[in-house]
Amino acid sequence: MKTATNKTHNASMLAVAIPASTILILLVIVSIGAEWIAPYDPLKQSLREALQSPSPAHWLGTDNLGRDVLSRLIFGGRIALISSLEATLIAVVLGVPLGLFIGYRGGWWDWAVMRLVEAVVSIPGIMVAIVIIAILGPGLHRAMIALGILYSTAFLRLARSVVLAEREEVYVKAARVIGASSNRILLRHILPNIAPPLIIQVTLTIGAVLLAEAGLSFVGLGVQPPGASWGTMLNTAATYMALNAFLAVPPGLAIVITVLSVNLLGDVLRDSVGRGIAISVKPTTPTAKFAESTTTSQPKADDILHIQGLQVVVNSKDGSEFPVITDLSFSIKKGETLGLVGESGCGKTITGLSILGLIGTGGRVTHGTINLNNTELTSFSTQQMEQIRGDEVAMVFQDPTTSLNPAFTVGDQIAEVLRVKQGMTKKQAWARAVELIDRVGITRPAERAKAYPHELSGGMAQRIAIARALSCNPKLLIADEPTTALDVTIQQEILDLFRDLQDEFGMAILFVTHDLAVAADICDRVCVMYAGELVEMANVDELFAAPRHPYTAGLLSAMPHASDRKPPLPTIKGTVPVPKLWPTGCRFSERCDYSQKACEQLITLTGTTSQVRCIRANEINMGASI
Amino acid sequence: MLRLIGQRLISLIPLLFIVSVLTFSFTALLPGDPVDLIIGDEGTAEQYEMVRERLGMNVPIVTRYFQWLGRAAQGDLGTSFFNSVPVMDAVMQRLPVTISLTAVSALIAVIVGMAAGIAAALNPRSWIDRLATFGATLGQAIPNFWFGILLVAFFAVSLRWFPATGFTPISTSPWEWLRSVTLPALALGLSSSAAIARQVRSAMVGVLQQDYIRAARAQGLSRRRVVFKHVLKNALIPVVAVLSFQITILLGGALIVEQVFAINGLGSLAISAVRQQDIPMIQGIVLVSVFIVVAIQLTTDMIYGFLNPKARPS
Repeated sequence: MKTATNKTHNASMLAVAIPASTILILLVIVSIGAEWIAPYDPLKQSLREALQSPSPAHWLGTDNLGRDVLSRLIFGGRIALISSLEATLIAVVLGVPLGLFIGYRGGWWDWAVMRLVEAVVSIPGIMVAIVIIAILGPGLHRAMIALGILYSTAFLRLARSVVLAEREEVYVKAARVIGASSNRILLRHILPNIAPPLIIQVTLTIGAVLLAEAGLSFVGLGVQPPGASWGTMLNTAATYMALNAFLAVPPGLAIVITVLSVNLLGDVLRDSVGRGIAISVKPTTPTAKFAESTTTSQPKADDILHIQGLQVVVNSKDGSEFPVITDLSFSIKKGETLGLVGESGCGKTITGLSILGLIGTGGRVTHGTINLNNTELTSFSTQQMEQIRGDEVAMVFQDPTTSLNPAFTVGDQIAEVLRVKQGMTKKQAWARAVELIDRVGITRPAERAKAYPHELSGGMAQRIAIARALSCNPKLLIADEPTTALDVTIQQEILDLFRDLQDEFGMAILFVTHDLAVAADICDRVCVMYAGELVEMANVDELFAAPRHPYTAGLLSAMPHASDRKPPLPTIKGTVPVPKLWPTGCRFSERCDYSQKACEQLITLTGTTSQVRCIRANEINMGASI
Repeated sequence: MLRLIGQRLISLIPLLFIVSVLTFSFTALLPGDPVDLIIGDEGTAEQYEMVRERLGMNVPIVTRYFQWLGRAAQGDLGTSFFNSVPVMDAVMQRLPVTISLTAVSALIAVIVGMAAGIAAALNPRSWIDRLATFGATLGQAIPNFWFGILLVAFFAVSLRWFPATGFTPISTSPWEWLRSVTLPALALGLSSSAAIARQVRSAMVGVLQQDYIRAARAQGLSRRRVVFKHVLKNALIPVVAVLSFQITILLGGALIVEQVFAINGLGSLAISAVRQQDIPMIQGIVLVSVFIVVAIQLTTDMIYGFLNPKARPS
């Protein structure tokens, strides 16, 4: 997926970079050869030919003094080029060494210079330039010195920040610890680190200087008449606008095209820095076939959720789709806790999100049914899903610090749901939110409701998230690794809270986790997922006592036991294959000690109350691991 | 919030001090003798001494700085070298013109930039997104004064919808004021619209990917509500941070755009002051602009603190 992205990205980058650099190279060539290329002397006046429209003799017409516009445009390009390079060079020469110096020295020097920079930056740039021109007097080179001084502040800050960042690097700190001179190390690492942002800043500055020079010349503080520059040409154009409006077009377009080229080139540079060079590898097209569910079962009366033959695909950046979940079927009874376990990348979270219809624009459900409380969800519209979410099914996410909105108080976030979904008044909703916060075991709830998420600990934030999820009394709660991001001591408290709340609210829980110990603690039944499909499902005691799929057995044996201190802890060799590289047969076969030739064929799920997707499940004895 | 204002005000003291020192030191940095400028070539030695005395140039420079600062604090910025008009009066007469131009263009920039940025972020990689991104890139490459010339050529000279030049104060006629300020404000606001659009788009795209947006949707809140409440409040944080910077740029840009429309704002005052080396006038204009910039920064800091609870001192 990544290589394909880089490829299309590189192509579009080249589509921008090539014309932009061609234009700039042309500008350089024309500027150098202005004397030979320009058809006329840019200063030669001919009042009889004043203010002419474009003609074969004067391709772009003439100005108020009968001077050839094309020739003035070409010489103006030379001015634009020289002046922008001059000001940028001054800015680099002034800004970089000073920035490096104060970065090194720190302390008082740093403080004083930075306050000075802040002061200069707080005055509008054009005004700083005007003031410097007041001191130096008008004229192109003086104006460029003014702009150079102005833009040196950007280079100063850039150089300083590179030094400061480098100071914090581990190897510099390490050198300091062993007593080596950190300055020498710093110096050696500054150059490679400062070069990329410096190049980008140079392009930005050239563009900005081009515009500023044109502006200053336009108001008569830069290039002085009769000298030809794009800014002075526009000044003339503004004066004679009513007589010949075309005069404004050539110099204006010249500025726009040049600045646009410089800026676009800068954008391309910025995008390519840090991205590295893309390695082009042909994207593999999925050839694997997927097991279609053989039986279609109907939801039972006490099922709150019934998923049948679910397949979910996501888009890759090259436009093709590939499946991330195939042939997934399971159901959850009212008040039951079903565990969904497996390693990262097995499709557990996507399963939870597809129940909510929140896979996002990059994916969709292609096969199967999701039946929630006797309502089929896969055909629902967005509005219908919005009705269901919160009221019927809610979700608690992995990281409470990122799943709560940092810009609103936690009480506000719960109360908003109550107002929107339950039609409560502001006052009612707030009172209920405080009650819920109290219910999830947070002391001083009225006070904590007014806190922002960043003011709460992770455990407390997760309690808030749980309170919000339960605010509308959903029949199903999807808990996506709700304890993974928390401290071990907090984990147990949160698990206890889930149990208590289930007793009180009576909701069913789909508990997604990679941690079998957590699943053993809280779940009634467990579904084991591997590479987008269900490989085993059983009651929790049964599964832990006698795992039937080699993957389940592997997961169990990789669990650390407090009583068992024999190193090393066994692990499952290899990693979960990425969705595009799933084999046709058993997806676990590459990592499995028991795999055979027959495992290369499509394997179906067998069994009724407990199920397993392994052709050798009955012949091999995985053994109990607990 | 009061604490935030207090903290910001205290941190402004060194800034204002440095700016005042910089501004004052123009006098010392200027080439040539201002006294010569005033009395001209035919001045006698007595006239010279008299002017020196009047300008207070016979006392040490540090004393002069504090005298100048003390008077400035009371609103006395001295008198112009050239027409003996009090600088404060001249600046205050021009200031409303430049401020109304800057304010209207900032409003245009915020409205256009936000609309384009939001539309682009909500439809990534669509034609809207491409158009907005291209427009933003182009907008930042177009010189504001050239855009002004084009607007005048089209809407004022050809279509005659707007006056080509001049400025009507809002107190004289709100309608005429609007007519006179529209074209220059559009010209001035273009590049800031582009910058804000870019900022809004990238901030929105970033926030849309956050867990808390998905969590809000998982609670059954509608897309519209989530976008315009949950996303926008977070996405506005970086936008507000660039806004004060953009307004500073607009204030500077106004000085140039005013010239296209022959508007007598601070721009023409500053340019003629530079040409005549009218030191008190330049000092006054710079000081007043810095005050305005500082006021804008304070305001945007308040908005920032309102939007971003993490920025509030606890």
